[in-house]
Amino acid sequence: MSRVPINARELLDGYAKPPCKATTINYSLPIGLTSSERNRPNTRQNMTVSIVKSSQTDVQPAEVIEQDSQVENDRPWIVLVWNDPINLMSYVTMVLQKIFGYSHEKATELMLDVHHKGRAVVSSGTREHAEFDVYRLHEHGLWATMQREDSR
Amino acid sequence: MARHSKGPVTRLDNATYSLNIESSERAVLNTLFDQLRDVLMNDSSSDIARRLFPAAYHQDEQHEAEYQRLMHHELLSSRLASLSMTADIFGSGTHSEQQNSDHVVVSADQLDSLMRSVNSLRLVLGTLLDVHEDEADVMLDEDDPAYGQLQLYSYLGWLLDWMVTAQTTAD
Repeated sequence: MSRVPINARELLDGYAKPPCKATTINYSLPIGLTSSERNRPNTRQNMTVSIVKSSQTDVQPAEVIEQDSQVENDRPWIVLVWNDPINLMSYVTMVLQKIFGYSHEKATELMLDVHHKGRAVVSSGTREHAEFDVYRLHEHGLWATMQREDSR
Repeated sequence: MARHSKGPVTRLDNATYSLNIESSERAVLNTLFDQLRDVLMNDSSSDIARRLFPAAYHQDEQHEAEYQRLMHHELLSSRLASLSMTADIFGSGTHSEQQNSDHVVVSADQLDSLMRSVNSLRLVLGTLLDVHEDEADVMLDEDDPAYGQLQLYSYLGWLLDWMVTAQTTAD
């Protein structure tokens, strides 16, 4: 996770005002560029991206029901949050407080586990409960997954 | 450009917040939110899409397929709803009087939507720029071809942190 730059608003002044150098600032997200291709910051990129249909979306309900045996339902699930270089530490802490009702201390401890150990278990319970937690974390942009407790 | 004496977000009470974002900044944000909406609507397979719609079951393809079938649209709708609410704050919504001013009073729900939209922008930009840990600590190099985008990434992080601080500040 990352920390916050100081005086970032001054950085944006480069967008709001003509920069000292005779360059044009590009307001577009560099969509469609690889790391090596983004050496063209002043080119407004076409935002149209082709839609590729996933081949993994054809699971039939009957198959799912077969999978959900009673034994599986009884086994607990855990929700993991993984470290990523983009989400702010302060933001992750706040999201954990908001979603799970953790104290600031507990949320900070979990956030630091994520930051230093690469991941942390943030909740556990039934599969349905875990799916809901994962959804809420994804809704806030955190990188979260779920798995059975004994598969760690 | 005049400097603000306060930050861009101030908590007024339990239910309302004050946004102090200049018109030039709002214009940049609106442009980016429009682009984010396009990405959400049209991109389903890139690194950006995988970051905005991450896997829930990373160890189980069958469960993952089922989860995405049920939840992907839900998550997409949530992100689009946040963008829509954000547009109402200083875009083309109904608060025309406020939109002409740098100072806007928003509800907790509106601030939450703005915060999640700004974070989504950071996820997109950070993914495209391939940022690494503590990238924000690195001094920006004006000769870097990605200088403009890195500036923007830093600004979004700064703005997001102010929103987090405002929401977590005790009364």
